Formats: sequence, structure tokens, C-alpha cells
Amino acid sequence: MTTRTPLERLIAMPEFGPLALLLVEIALFTAINPTFLSPLNISNTLTFTVELGIIALAMTLLMTSGEFDLSVGSMFGFAPVLMWTLFNANILPFGAAFLVAMLVAAAIGLFSGLFVTRLKIPSFLVTLGMLLVVRGTSLYITDGFPQRTWSAEGTWLATILVGDFYVGPFRIYASLFWFIGLAAILGYVLNRTKAGNWIQAAGGNPLAARARGVKVGRVKVALFMLTASCAAFAGMISSIRTSAANPNSGTGYELEVIAMVVIGGTVLTGGRGTILGTVIGTLILRVMRNGIVLIGVPGLAYNIFVGAIILGMMALHSWLERRHNAGV
Amino acid sequence: MRRITRALLAGAMVLGLAATAVQAKTYYWISHGSPADPVWTYFLQGAEQWAQDTGNTVNTSFHNGDVASHQEALRAAIAAKADGIVTTSPDPGSLVEVAKEANAAEIPIINFNTPDPTASFDAYVGGDNVVFGASWAQYLVDNGLVKQGDFVWMPVEVPGATYGVQEEEGIRSVFEPLGITWEVTDATLDQAEIITRMSDYLTANREKVKAIIGLGDLVTGSIKRVFDQVGVKPGDIPVVGWGNSLDTTQEVLEGYVNAAQWQDPQATSYVALSLAAMEAGGVPAGFNVITGALYDKQAAQIYDDILSGK
Repeated sequence: MTTRTPLERLIAMPEFGPLALLLVEIALFTAINPTFLSPLNISNTLTFTVELGIIALAMTLLMTSGEFDLSVGSMFGFAPVLMWTLFNANILPFGAAFLVAMLVAAAIGLFSGLFVTRLKIPSFLVTLGMLLVVRGTSLYITDGFPQRTWSAEGTWLATILVGDFYVGPFRIYASLFWFIGLAAILGYVLNRTKAGNWIQAAGGNPLAARARGVKVGRVKVALFMLTASCAAFAGMISSIRTSAANPNSGTGYELEVIAMVVIGGTVLTGGRGTILGTVIGTLILRVMRNGIVLIGVPGLAYNIFVGAIILGMMALHSWLERRHNAGV
Repeated sequence: MRRITRALLAGAMVLGLAATAVQAKTYYWISHGSPADPVWTYFLQGAEQWAQDTGNTVNTSFHNGDVASHQEALRAAIAAKADGIVTTSPDPGSLVEVAKEANAAEIPIINFNTPDPTASFDAYVGGDNVVFGASWAQYLVDNGLVKQGDFVWMPVEVPGATYGVQEEEGIRSVFEPLGITWEVTDATLDQAEIITRMSDYLTANREKVKAIIGLGDLVTGSIKRVFDQVGVKPGDIPVVGWGNSLDTTQEVLEGYVNAAQWQDPQATSYVALSLAAMEAGGVPAGFNVITGALYDKQAAQIYDDILSGK
């Protein structure tokens, strides 16, 4: 039996491919525009990245269980709208409004989960319907008006969620710590606990998992609730930070989040997932969006570059994956 | 006796309802905008206020820049024999055929917010985006805020949409002869994404950008948050653009935005529906109504009060 060197062990990790991609990306953008690694740019990039990343972390577990949720973008917009509507109308204090929005999000996740597991309807269809219901509800309860968020400044909850401080020249938002904490917890759950085994078994071979006593339906319902709650949490963080609660917020985020998870190495069909990979996948996509602006691509050609780079990265990812599976 | 009285009362009520049904007309208010775009909520308010004041029914719909959906809504209104239609134009030339169909059905059709002279609308109510664009560029030139060889950044929510294209046309007429260059960038309609993309662009091009023209309300209303994020002080980079939101009136008052364009959104809807009703009553509308004003710090409070409902 041969023992592997630390370098060989690193290369053998499934996250090695995405990590290599991220490093190449950072090196390339920095070489073209050194401002890319300036403290100001790093601070700005991390700000929004972690908000989307929070959704991607929960989505990783859901996708590992073989399902996905297309309603996360609309939940991202709906939860802050609900919270601010309750607060601005003096129905509830800020903390209670936050809690109610989280509970409603969890209830919506429960509803989606029960539809998928009890009625055996594919999650694509259920969550597509839920996307429209949630988005429509946001518009209806606000009459399309964005909710005001000014009065959140200085409240203890706003400070905990999005308070910012400087570490040298770096501006750090509290949301970064929420992201790191959540990544650590979910990574632990997925890799070190019985629940993690259930999640992977539910996605890998649900029939075999059921035969071994795994309550596949309950696992999936719990993950739908977690994903909806994380999307709501991220939406409320973003809303307080940007001082805006627009019912249209989060449009299209579902696809970006799924792309982050897949680029990170989680299998689209379920059974295998990686939280560390999702963290890297999140950084890859957001760093790319930031970098192509910094290197000065024409403003209206932005989407051409985003799409082309995603295709290129997926090709490179696939090649690295094949090499990895072949043991090269 | 009591029975007779009841019968008379019931008869009067039926007659009253019938009379109301005859008087109340149905109009269609069709927008290419997004219901989540703050400025469109003010346009919508104007339509709802008109319906309340006149007792007429106004069916409203938003189409998010989707031309096919917009045309379908117009054709549905024509099929329903609407008493009048007021509509924006999602893209130049996109409603030429539908407007002809409304003309053939003898249904008044009034264009508002985004003009399209190629379509046979009966009248236009709203601003002139080409004139607005030119006035923003001229404001920067006249106040010495940009000069020959300078670069101006112009973020927009939906690149290629009529409003931005027409505004750029007006801006070009002023900047091109002076050798001032510019770039339009895609900011999207999502608030968090707008702030992120604008912050990225400004971080990369801080030295190059001599002025900013916000081609839409969401981008202009995001200037304060972008400047604060990137560390630009109010007034360091001159800004002009749309000003139909509370975010922008506050930015003008605080010095982040030098001048902003007011479009009278509520009044635009109200007057457009009034013209449609006038035509439905047999009085042709042979004129356009142009709205809008460029306001600075001195006048900003007026619009801030309007938008705050004071």
C-alpha cells in the first residue's frame, strides 16, 4: 500500500478542479488589472457574494438529496418585503417581523417539500409554480412599491445581520461571518453526521435508502424548508444592506445559485455534494462577474463574456474531473 | 302599500344600476414597464386615481418589456371593444400594426411615456426622451462639468429598451460634436445586482469617469449607495439622470446627484386617460401633451413631497 503525499491528497480532492479554476481566474484578472486585488474591490466583491452564497450552501444539500428549488430567487425578494411591510405598518416590531418572515419562508418550503414528496410531482414543476406564487404575492401585497428600510439603521438586528467594520483597509460585513458559520455547520452536517449520510443516500439511491430505514421524504422536506429559510435570510440581509426591499429582487438568482453549486462539484442528479466546492463555485462565478468589469470589457458585451467564460469553465471543469476520476 | 313601495324602490335601484352601467366605460392602461419598478407604481397610481375620480373602469397591465405580450394585451382590449386604450411603446415600431387595428375598430388609442411617431396613435402624453437626453448632456456642458475629451458613464437597467436608446440619441447630439465619449453599461433591474455592478464599474474606472448620466430611475436612485460603497464623496463625480423616485430626490437634496428629471408620472397617466375619454366622447385629440422638468437642489423638495404623499 502506497502512502500519498499531501500534494497528491490535495489533487485527489474533488474540490481541487474548482479551486484550480478559481486561482487561474484570480491570477488572470490581477495580471490584466492589479486593482482587482485592491482592498476596496475585494471588500465590494465579498459583500454580495456571500448573500448569494448563503442560498447556494442550502441548495447544495437539497441538490445532493436529488431535488432543487427554483423559488429561491422569489423568496429572496418576498421575505424582506414581508418583513418591512409588517414593520413599516407598525404591525410588529422589527425583530418579530424578521422572525415571522423566516417562519413564513419555512412554511413555504414545507409546502413545496410536501408537494414533491407526497404528491410525487417533480421539484422542477412544484418550485416553478411556487416561484410564480411567491413573486406574485410580493407584488400584490406591495402594489409594486418597494418597501422603505431606512428605519432599520442602528437597530440591534440590523447590526447583527449586516453591521460593518474595517480591518485595516478592508470593509467587512457581518454577513461574511454568517456565510462562514453556515458553511462550517452545513459542511459538518453533510460530511460528519448521520443526517449527511441520509441526504446523500436519498439522492444517490432513494429506494435502497428507504430499504435501509432512511426517511427519504422527511429528509427532503426538511431540506426544502432549510433552502427556503436560507433564501429568505439572504434576502433580508441584502435588503437591509442595500436599503431597499423591492418585490422584484432576486429575479434569476435561482439559476445563478444552481450554477454555483454545480460548478463547485455537486452532482446535478443528486447523491454527491460538497459544501467546500460550493464555496469555491460561489467565488468563481462572482469573481468572474467582478473581474470582467474590471478588465474593461465593453459594457453591453458583459453577458457575452459571462456566458462564454461559464462555458469555458465548465469545459475545463469537465476535463479536470475526468483526469481526477482516471487517477491522473 | 308597503309592497308597492318596495317594488318602486327595487325598480329605482335596477334603473339606477342600469344607468350606472351605461355611463361607466372601460379603458385599458397598458405598460411595457415592470410593476416592481418604483416609477411605474406612480404611473399606476395616476391611472387608479383617474378611475376613482371618473367612476370609469381602468384595466391595467404590465408587460416587462415583452413586445409579444404587450401586443396581445392591446389586441385583447380591441377584441373587448374597449372605450379607449392608453399604452406605452415597448420598442420603436412595435405597435404600428396594432395601432392600425385600433384605428380600424374606431377605438381611441393614446400613447404615453414612450413616444413612437411611426405608429398611428391619436395623441402622445409624456416626456420626449430624446429631448431629455440632450438636456442632461447640455446641463453637464453648460455647467462646465464635462469638456472635450472627457468620458461619461451611462448605466441603464435594460440596454436596448426604447427609453435608453432615445435618451442616448439626444445625448449623442450634444456630446459627439464636442468630442466627449461615453459608455452604456447593463445594470439589470435587480437592486442588489445594480449596486454590485455599478460599484465594480466605478472601482475599475474611477479616474476615467468624469460624469455619470443615469438613463433610468433605478440606476440614478442607486448613486448614493454606490458612491458610499466605493468611497466617492457627494459632488466628486457630477451626476444627472432620471429623478422620479424618493431615492433620487434625496440624492439631489444631499448633493449626490446634481440634477434629475421629473416626468410627472401620475399626471401623465391621468391626462392620457382623460384624452382617451375625451375622444370616446367624440372630441378628437389633435395635439400632444409634453410633460417633464429638470430639477436641482433648490426644487428637489417639491418632488420629494409629492413622492412622499405630502
